[in-house]
Amino acid sequence: MKKNRVMTSVVIGDGGVAITPTGFRIDIRLPWYRSLPVSTVAIDSVSIDGVAVDSANVTFELDGRQFALSAMADQVDTVWYVLDSAYLNVKSDRVDPGAAHEFAVTMSLYPPYIRGLRRMTQDRIVLNAS
Amino acid sequence: MSQVSQLKFGTTLYALTNEFLSRRYSFEQLLEETAARRIGPGLEIVGFQSIRGFPVITDEFAERFKMLVEKFHLTPTSLAINADQEIRRGTVMSVDEMVAYHEPQMRAAAKLGFPVARYQYGAGPEVIRRLAPLAEKLGVKLGLEIHAPQHANHPDVLKFREMYAKVNSPYLGWIPDFSSTARTVPPSFLAHFRARGVAESLIDLAMEVWQGTGDAQTRMGQYKERARAAHANEIHLNELSLIFPMFGHEDPRGWLELMPAVVHIHGKFFGFDSHGNEEAIDYAALLPLFRDNGYAGFMSSEWEGHMYSDADAFEMIERHQAMCRRILAAA
Repeated sequence: MKKNRVMTSVVIGDGGVAITPTGFRIDIRLPWYRSLPVSTVAIDSVSIDGVAVDSANVTFELDGRQFALSAMADQVDTVWYVLDSAYLNVKSDRVDPGAAHEFAVTMSLYPPYIRGLRRMTQDRIVLNAS
Repeated sequence: MSQVSQLKFGTTLYALTNEFLSRRYSFEQLLEETAARRIGPGLEIVGFQSIRGFPVITDEFAERFKMLVEKFHLTPTSLAINADQEIRRGTVMSVDEMVAYHEPQMRAAAKLGFPVARYQYGAGPEVIRRLAPLAEKLGVKLGLEIHAPQHANHPDVLKFREMYAKVNSPYLGWIPDFSSTARTVPPSFLAHFRARGVAESLIDLAMEVWQGTGDAQTRMGQYKERARAAHANEIHLNELSLIFPMFGHEDPRGWLELMPAVVHIHGKFFGFDSHGNEEAIDYAALLPLFRDNGYAGFMSSEWEGHMYSDADAFEMIERHQAMCRRILAAA
């Protein structure tokens, strides 16, 4: 059985990072106890080996739909169910499958019933050379 | 004089957040384990956590839920609903929009057989006043969760109390959350900060200010000012500032004023001392107040240590209920 974790600190999900032909894809979880509209979630940064990826090269994928990071704030009717993984699809030429890499994601939540709260969570994962 | 306790026990699945979100237990397995561990019979759930598509409740889900509740001999107690007033960031919903946002959540409670819908301050008294007739029609009581930093006599709560007095409906009530009436900040929470490298001097300062007088916002401001003057680590000082909204040190007897309209209780807890007592919340003072003043409803064991601890929540709830039984059985 899987180990218990403090799930409200988890951003990178069990699926971790997968290398893709154009970069990489990260399984992400909502670090909150309940589902939230996508409009209340922001991806602040995605980095590889400490270097931030240009946000224009990242899309947020939920239930097979892709959103530009800048379009997330408008998704008031799209709910991220708390048990589901979403994905970040990242274009990057920094991935060398033969080398180890560290990936980091920083996410902010703006829980819609707590005015003025911004909750920032960063999570990181090291992917060893294949 | 002490009386025979009519207070009933139960669990909120919120306490089992880590078990559920880590996908170790499905919703159905949580119910099964709650029954197997005898930490019901009361069952509280958070709509937006347990139910995909909430507040839409399909007939299929409702039937399955009722079948499971019957199979595991559980009793639905409270459905936690949310006052999501700022789904569009920077824009707050109007009263009409908030009424419309709450209605389907209340209907969900009725469809699933919950006698109480837990609501939040963000709804505001006017929205709840307008929803009172629907609550009556559905047979679902609306209970305001009174959580730190608010308390029975907090200005935010007084606004609802004034409205309740005018409307005078048995379908409007209160849900005391023991976070408002803590003795101290849970030592396990402070230990979590120490483990993250937060300086002892910063923790000492935070606790000194926390124990002082004044509302939470004022004390938090004082603490931040003094911490910054002492050149504390900015990230650490912000993280630690959570203790001000999370825990209040109001007198437990404040709950007495609300007692006749208490419709549910959140038995908030974090950890235990070496005697098996809650480490920060004085249950020996709290439980007899409710027992001896006629409260005959449910209390959900609401472990919130899952925010910083990966301990087995089922075990924590078992210990909580054993402690409560011991206290209630004593004079």
